[in-house]
Formats: sequence, structure tokens, C-alpha cells
Amino acid sequence: MRNKILRLVGGRLIAGVGVLWGAATLTFLVLYFTPGDQAQAIVGGENAAPTPEVIAQVTAEYGLDQPWYAQYLSHLGRILHGDLGTSYRLHTPVTQAIGEQAGATLELALAAAVVGLTLSTVVALATAKRRRWIRGIASGSELVIASTPSFWLGILLLTVFSFGLRLFPATGSHGLQSLVLPALALALPIAGVLGHVLREALEEVLDEPFIVSARTRGLADLTVRLRHALRHALVPLITMTGYWVGALLGGAVITETLFTRQGIGRLLLSAVNAKDLPVVLGVVLLSAGIYVLLNLVVDLLYLVIDPRLRDAPATARPAVGGAS
Amino acid sequence: MTKRTQMTTRTMTTRAAAAVLGAAMVLAGCGSGTGTVSAGGTTPRAGGTLILGENGQEPTCLDPHGNSSSDGPVITVPVSDSLVWFGADGTIQPWLADSWKVSPDGLTYTFTLHPGVKFHDGAVWNAEALKTNFEHMRDPATKSPLAAAYIAPYKDSKVIDENTLEVHLSSPYSPFLNILAQGYLGMISPKQIKEAPQSICEHPIGSGPFILDKWTKGQSVTYHKNPDYNWGPKGAKHTGPAYLDKLEIRFLTEDATRYNALASGEVNAIDFTPPQNVEDVKANPDLGFVSALRPGHPMSFWLNTSRAPFDDVKVRQALLASVDRSAIIKGISFGQYEVAQGFVTPSTPDYASGLEGKIAYDPAKAGRLLDEAGWTAKDADGIRTKDGKRLTAYFPIDPSFPAQRMQIAVQTQAAARKAGIDIQIQTPSTQEVSDRSLAGDYDLASGLWATNTADVLWIQYSSKNITTDKRRGQNVARLSDGKLDELLQTARETTDKAKQTDLYNQVQARLIELAPAIPFYNDPRPVSFQKKVHDLTLPPAYPSPYFYDTWLDE
Repeated sequence: MRNKILRLVGGRLIAGVGVLWGAATLTFLVLYFTPGDQAQAIVGGENAAPTPEVIAQVTAEYGLDQPWYAQYLSHLGRILHGDLGTSYRLHTPVTQAIGEQAGATLELALAAAVVGLTLSTVVALATAKRRRWIRGIASGSELVIASTPSFWLGILLLTVFSFGLRLFPATGSHGLQSLVLPALALALPIAGVLGHVLREALEEVLDEPFIVSARTRGLADLTVRLRHALRHALVPLITMTGYWVGALLGGAVITETLFTRQGIGRLLLSAVNAKDLPVVLGVVLLSAGIYVLLNLVVDLLYLVIDPRLRDAPATARPAVGGAS
Repeated sequence: MTKRTQMTTRTMTTRAAAAVLGAAMVLAGCGSGTGTVSAGGTTPRAGGTLILGENGQEPTCLDPHGNSSSDGPVITVPVSDSLVWFGADGTIQPWLADSWKVSPDGLTYTFTLHPGVKFHDGAVWNAEALKTNFEHMRDPATKSPLAAAYIAPYKDSKVIDENTLEVHLSSPYSPFLNILAQGYLGMISPKQIKEAPQSICEHPIGSGPFILDKWTKGQSVTYHKNPDYNWGPKGAKHTGPAYLDKLEIRFLTEDATRYNALASGEVNAIDFTPPQNVEDVKANPDLGFVSALRPGHPMSFWLNTSRAPFDDVKVRQALLASVDRSAIIKGISFGQYEVAQGFVTPSTPDYASGLEGKIAYDPAKAGRLLDEAGWTAKDADGIRTKDGKRLTAYFPIDPSFPAQRMQIAVQTQAAARKAGIDIQIQTPSTQEVSDRSLAGDYDLASGLWATNTADVLWIQYSSKNITTDKRRGQNVARLSDGKLDELLQTARETTDKAKQTDLYNQVQARLIELAPAIPFYNDPRPVSFQKKVHDLTLPPAYPSPYFYDTWLDE
């Protein structure tokens, strides 16, 4: 068992390095070869009239006159030495630029994850295998919420709870008060999808013979659902980790903009527009790193949840949800 | 050119810019003093915190010399004073300089500086400090996107004594004092420039009425009062320190959020009031409103005069005559914007008010002009043709531009179609628009340029400013007219005010003949505030909220 885990972790980490390298390479190539003069993008912007001297300085300082492979190698070499570099636009180290924004995004993502997972689990547990109209209402609202763009959902929440009832502030990223609406806007669509998946899984499990036997032993319905059914139904939920973490990170960009929160999403957006390579590479490496670690954790979780996998050959485990 | 008007935000609702009633604009833009409004006649009281909701155009660097964002001055002017003050009547008044002399050849400026001024880090304001600032603006390492271009004729300077600096220009440059009044050329501590230049972007140190506390990127900038401040501009209403204890500028990207933050009392004032909310603000007894027209070039569609079909002046004139600009602007701004009457806004010095009404909607004239230009035949779609070629013009629009631009473009397209001109609107990526702009691959391009001098017309229309491989220029229309070039250059070099006014009048008349652009509207800076906020002003050099005189009654 211990050997198996070590092998799994080692293999995953080596593959992870490959993923990081691939992500960095692809990012560089895409940003380099999309149209747009780099020096102009860096020192341009609204109302800019950079002099030829300023353009020359930017070009020389950032090595923009080098051939693409030389620029690629210099970025790669820098990153291999653990140096994420300095932002072209913000003139601050990339680690600082990301550090200033990461806390707010993490706070939002965690809050949304907790809300989303709790909500979907509670609703699924309460409605699986219930009367038809109950299931209908639950599944219908899940479908509506899951297909609502979080941008629009955010505006709706703002209009009702902030501008209308004035229960929560509309802006900022300080305090619990200002976290409620953005976390909901981000969590609800995810909860819709996960709730749907979880209920389907629960309904399947609740038909299994071991549930019938548990019920005949006289266990209360709630105990059956919580102790016996939920554990089995969690596997597809965990398989979807890739999906919902992706949705959290992707949705954060929109939510952060709408609620005027700090965050990595907005940092990335402006960096891409300005062709600020060090910042873009830094954020991409961070997200790719999170995915690699997360997939490793998910693989380990399977072993915890499903004891059968502990002895099965490594290839037999279910595939981890796609990193969307 | 496409870059300079780019909005940093990407969301639909943010795209509406700002608005104001024509009457209010004229009052604020051309009135006396600082463009000040004050509610009630009560005595100012010190204390309190003001929170301003700003739009999403947060600069990436708070060094006044290191940004070109329209949110630059609102953020940096509290910290950083300017050498001179620009009055609403176009006069230059003392600030950190008590007086100045200009040599008859216009090449030497001798500044006598205000004594006793101290920067927030204790550094002393003197001739050496001014020299250090000029050199910092010009130093390529500063990567200045705007200030360096504005002082391009600066050659060097000589310290005469502690408080006297003699500045030498390489060519006469009459707008020099005007642009020195803009926040983009504010003064930074020479100690910071010499010892820690890399820290200026993050935390600029100036001599201003407020000291910067913290810039929380993506969210806000906070300041506290400078208790030692005693060198406010002569154009201000009071002397001594500012009234406010603290100041916070919050970036509220979404128009709806920004307006509602004011309505719900989350903030005390907002910049760039969305045009659709201006009437609500005015109808609300708890809110006040002030606006000023930004001096410079109005929001326009430039026509590429270097290639067909707009290389023919008659086709350009025909397009101008075929568009009902008043109707379009009224519609897209909820009646809040003022239609541009020429190629500079009325708040620009040497605005030629005598030429108002010369650009008129006249579809019959448009048809006549196109006939004269040889576009006599029409194809099955009703588009005019000449020698079998359709009269087509391509208009690449940056997708990040405000939605209003697209609305104006679509309505212009419809009007042009009636005259038989086919405008093809394209939406390539921001960076592709920028590349095409460099290469001259467009027939129409949109934008504006805010600066407090009619020299904006040299920036936009001198043939020296046509983009080449060596230099990116702002002459987006790629206009090359010998007579205009000469007028612009002479106006730029003369030190005779009366002669300059006459020259700029001729320039504006000539531009109406040449029709290098469709001027649409005079861009306003509309600010709304709670009634307890008094004396929130918009300095005429670069109208944006200025907090030195501002006070709150509780």
C-alpha cells in the first residue's frame, strides 16, 4: 500500500513537471505569435504616445528584438532558476503582483467551493428518490441555475440584495459581508451541475441491494442516506473535481470584475492584453500547478473512499475529470 | 491611435462613457476660476473621509510620468503638485513656480520657484529638483507613455541659483507651459527619483495636499492629509492644508455598480457618471452634479486620407454631410452629450467659435459632391460605383472600445449607405487593430485626444505625425497638407499670443475644408456627489476630480 502511494505520487509529480513545461511553452507561443507589436502593447494603452526612445528602451530592456526561440529560452531559463521575473507593465516582481491578488481569489474560490458543495450535497440528499414533483422542482431549478451565466446571476444578486434591499455591499474585497454575493454568484451554477450529478448517483445507489438490507435492519432513512449511500455517490462528484475547480477559476475573472474585487483573474486579463509575458507565465504556471496537485489529491482520495482500489492494479482506477 | 482610447474594461455595461447637459458643460468648461461648484454658502469645515467611486481605467503605474490613463491625474494630483496652474480662461498661473520668463526666440524658459516647499519625504523643492523631474520624464528608463512626448523639445537646463532654473528647448514650443499644468507632468520627490526610482510606480512621493497610504491594486488608493501643506495653487479657494483628513478612490468598473454605490451611500461621489443616470442624479435632492468638457480633440472618426476612397476630399466632405451627427449623439448619450462643432472642443484655448455650424447635415450636398467626385453610377445595392469599383470603406473597431462607439459607427454606416457609401465595420482583436493602425490599413478609425492646448491639432494633423517605421505618430487621418503644416508649425513656435489665436483660427477653418474626420461629441467629465460634499472641483488643465478645496458637512 505504502509503495503504491509513493509510486503514484512520484509518477504524478514527474508528469506534473511535464504539464508545467507544456503550459509555459504553449502560453509563450500563443502570446508571441498572436498579432500585435509587443513593445507597443507594453508601453501603449489609453492616450499613450510613446516616443521612439521609450520604444527602443522597452525593446532593448526586455530583449524583444531577439528571435522568438532566444526569448523563449531566456524565459524558460529564468523560470527554471525559480525566478518569475518582473512585470513589464506593473514594474513590480511577478511574485509580488500575484501575491497581492492571490489571497482575494483564494478567499472567493474557497467560499464558493464550500457553498457550492454544501448546497449541492444537501439538496441532492434531501431530494433523491423522493416524490416526482419534488425531484422535478429540484432538477428543474438546477438546470436553470447551471445554464445561467454567472455574470447575469451576479447582476441579479446585486440588483436584489445590494441595490434593492441593501443587505450587502456591492463592491470591495474586505470582510465577510462583501464576500457573500460574489461567492453565491460563483457557487450557484456549480452547485446546479454538481447537485444534478450527485442526485443521479444517489438514486442509483439507493436501489442497490445493500441499501435494502440496511433498511431492513431498521435504520432510519437519514442514516441510510448519510452513512451508506453518500459515500458511494461521492465518487462521481470527486471525478468532477477538474470541472468545478476549472469553473471556479474561470468564473472568478467575471465575478471579480462585476463585484470590483481584487483577484488573479483580472490580473491575467490585463496582462494578456498588454502582452505582459512574465505575469501571464506566472499565472499560468500557478494554475497548472494547482491542477497537478489537485489531481494528485483526487487520486489519493479515491484510495480513501473506495478500498477496492487499494489492491487493484493502478490502471483500474477511474479516470480523473478533465481539466477544463 | 487605437491604443490610446482603449478601455481597460471588457464588460458590456461599463462601456457607456459619461455625459452632461450642454448648458452645464459650457458653464463648467468656460466659467471663471477652477470650474468649481459649491452647494450652499456655509463655511468650510475640516475633517472627515471622502470616498470617490472611479471607473475601471486603473493605471498600471502611479508615477505621474509613467502613465497615460484618463484616471492618472485623479489619482496622482492629490500627491503631486504641478509647476503651474492652468486657468479656465486659458491663462497660466503660479503654483510651484512663482514666475517665469520666456526668451523672445521661445527657446529659453527661466522659472523662479516657490520657496519653502517640501516633499513628503522631506526633500526640498528647488531648481535642482525641477531639473531632476524633467530628466526623469525624459529618461527612457522611466518608460513614459505620455509625459516624454509632451516635453519632446526639452533639451537641457541650468541651475542659476537655489530657486531659479533656466530651461533650454531645442525648438520653440509655445504649449510648454500649458502641458506643464497637467497632472501627467506633476512633480515627484528628487530624492525618490535618485534613490529609489523603481518605487515610484507603486508609491509616488510628491509635495501635494495628500500623502499616499496604500494602493490596493484592482480595488482602491487611500491617502491622508499633508498637515504641512501651504503651497496650493493660486486658482484654489483656500490656502493651507486640505480640509479632508482622508481620501479613498475606489475602482468601480461597472457603470451600474458605480451609480448604485453613490445612490446607496457606499461612496460619497462618483466620477464618469453613466449618461443614462445623469437625469436621475439631477432629479435627486440628495445629490449634486458637476461636469466639465475635456479640452482637446473631440471624439471623432478619422478618415484615412492616404488611400482611396478618402484620399478624395470631396468624398470626405460628402460623408460629413451625409451624417446627421446631432440625432446620433442625442440618441446614444440619452441627450447628454454636446455635438462637436469643429476639431477642438470649446474648452480648448483658441477655440474658433465663429466656425460653429459650418459642419452641417445636408444629404443633397453629399449626393452632389459624390457626383462631382465621379461616383455617379450605382450598383444593385444602391452603392455608388466609379469605373466598376464600389465606394467601400473599411472600419476596424477595437472590441474593447466603449459600446457607444459601436452604436455611433452603426448609425454612421446607415447614414452613409443612404448616400451610397458602403462602410464595412470590422471587429478584429485589439492587437490586430493596433497592427493595422500602424500599417495604415484602415479607412476609418475612432478616438479623441484630451490636452489643454490647440497644439492638439499639430499632434493630430501635422504631416510630421504620420506613423512611419521609425515613429508612431498620432496623425491617424494621415493628413498631409502643406498649408496646414505651415500654420500649425508657426502657431506652435510663436510667442505672440494674438498671432497664435489668429493662426489657430485659420487652422480650424482649413480643417473644415479638408474634412479629415467626422467630429462627433465634446467629451465631458461628469461627476456626481452627495450634497454634503462641497467644492469638489475639476481643474481646467485636465478635468478630473480635485480634492484640495473639498470639504464635508455632517
